[in-house]
Amino acid sequence: MRESILLKGVYKRFGKVSALDGVDLSLKKGMSIILGANGAGKSTLLRCIDGLYKVDSGTVKVDGIDPYTDDTVHMKLALLSDNYALYDYLSVKDNLKFFGRLYGLKDSEILERASEVLKELDAYNYIDSKVFTLSRGTKQKVAFCRATINNPSIILLDEPTAFLDANASERIRKYLLRREREGATVLFVTQKIDEVTRFNSKIFVIKKGRIVASADSASLYKSILKNSYINVRLARQISSAKLSKVTGLESTNGSKATYIKVRISSSKDINAVIRELLDAGAEIAGVDYTEPLIEKMSLNGEE
Amino acid sequence: MDFRNAWAIAVKDMREVFSSVSIYGPMLAVPLFFAIVLPVLTFYVTIYAAPSVIARISSLPSAPPILQGANAATFMRYFAINVLGPIFLTMPILTSSVISADSFAGEKERKTAEALLATPVKKSELLLGKIMASFIPTIILTVAVFAIYGVVTNAFAMGSFHEYILPTAAWLMMILTSPFLAIVTIGIVVLVSSHVRGVKESQQISTLIILPVLIMPFISILGLASLTVAFFAYVILILAAMALVLFYVSIRTFRKDRML
Repeated sequence: MRESILLKGVYKRFGKVSALDGVDLSLKKGMSIILGANGAGKSTLLRCIDGLYKVDSGTVKVDGIDPYTDDTVHMKLALLSDNYALYDYLSVKDNLKFFGRLYGLKDSEILERASEVLKELDAYNYIDSKVFTLSRGTKQKVAFCRATINNPSIILLDEPTAFLDANASERIRKYLLRREREGATVLFVTQKIDEVTRFNSKIFVIKKGRIVASADSASLYKSILKNSYINVRLARQISSAKLSKVTGLESTNGSKATYIKVRISSSKDINAVIRELLDAGAEIAGVDYTEPLIEKMSLNGEE
Repeated sequence: MDFRNAWAIAVKDMREVFSSVSIYGPMLAVPLFFAIVLPVLTFYVTIYAAPSVIARISSLPSAPPILQGANAATFMRYFAINVLGPIFLTMPILTSSVISADSFAGEKERKTAEALLATPVKKSELLLGKIMASFIPTIILTVAVFAIYGVVTNAFAMGSFHEYILPTAAWLMMILTSPFLAIVTIGIVVLVSSHVRGVKESQQISTLIILPVLIMPFISILGLASLTVAFFAYVILILAAMALVLFYVSIRTFRKDRML
């Protein structure tokens, strides 16, 4: 199967700043995620794949086409950037009609697709509103609708859930998973480890413009949970004395605790802590881990 | 090139410009104000000061021959074309520079260019769409302003001299010059917009284009050139040549990533 996205030795500089420093990437159909901190080169990478930037050296191919020189590739390609990029003084409907027409769609097709996506994201009520009157989250929903109006087979997304509430974020994830099942190539970049681990996908870590590691959810968890902490929320108070036997207990929020912090070094430790808490009579309401800084995270095989 | 894409871009840009009175209000108000006020002032200058103004201009060594012993109606015709005409010719420059600067540099400033460039739209469609978005409103406004200016001037002329003084061939040639002025302005703004950060920098260029136009009344009064049909024919030829060169260079040098 031919690669949907192929980058070979891609370099991109802005003045003295090297944004991409020899990126090699080969992606077939399915979902892939680029994980990186601010300034790692994630957005530049997406813009090079979309053909918005001319690379200084190297090769970028999307379905075998150079996206910078051949605009036809955009018929099947979509980019949702980190800014919503909508025309503020036009209505949501006019924005979507404008972009849809550039893909050669009829107005009836545009409105049919737009209503489907906007209803799925609970934003259909705003279809006649001017964009400048919308909240940032709603703008992001509309931008997502705009980016997918052409039913693209290759979808590039830059922090697609950055300003969305949990419910809308989940709907976007469901949409992406559905498109993945339908055979689309989905590539999204993020700096949120939590976002990454919600998909069982191939993960690439980018640092200082280089892809330094590839991973899957299991190896990512292994790295995240090494020398980390979990926070456990308890449904009802429990005395500190009963918690004294919990291995790695770091702190509690009082003598009658409802929130405790525990040091762990692997996922096995989390299970052990939960067993100890249950044995102590605790009623667990939730468990979450403290995300490490991506810059400080080290994955096996990292260059 | 798919003209429908270019037209979709042009319509979108025009709808943006005319979506808020705060954007198009000043752009329309100033030309319309001048279209009414300047002919009124001309009339009063003609009625109350024509002999003394004619005498002063005639005393210049290179004074225009037409003013030698001219009557009030001849003076008003001269003034309406040679002095006011060039002022009205700044309208296509100002209007097209405002809209085209917003159209090109505005996409960069408001960070909407990324979504636009991510569509299958071709470079030629994008350029043509943006040019039409600036050109069409400019020409409509310019023709409207010249028409109002002509009607107001004729109304006064008819009332006082019992004759219409407009249109003349030179005046019609002046109107015909407007699209060429607009297209050269848009071409320069297109070239500049890809190298500047925002709308304001892009608009500054219009001041450079206005200067030669504003010199016209002075060279006319001083008798250095006469704003005749032949004069405007030469101006149109020069502007057309400039427009061709500008658009050739614009298309060759236009890079999508400079809009980001």
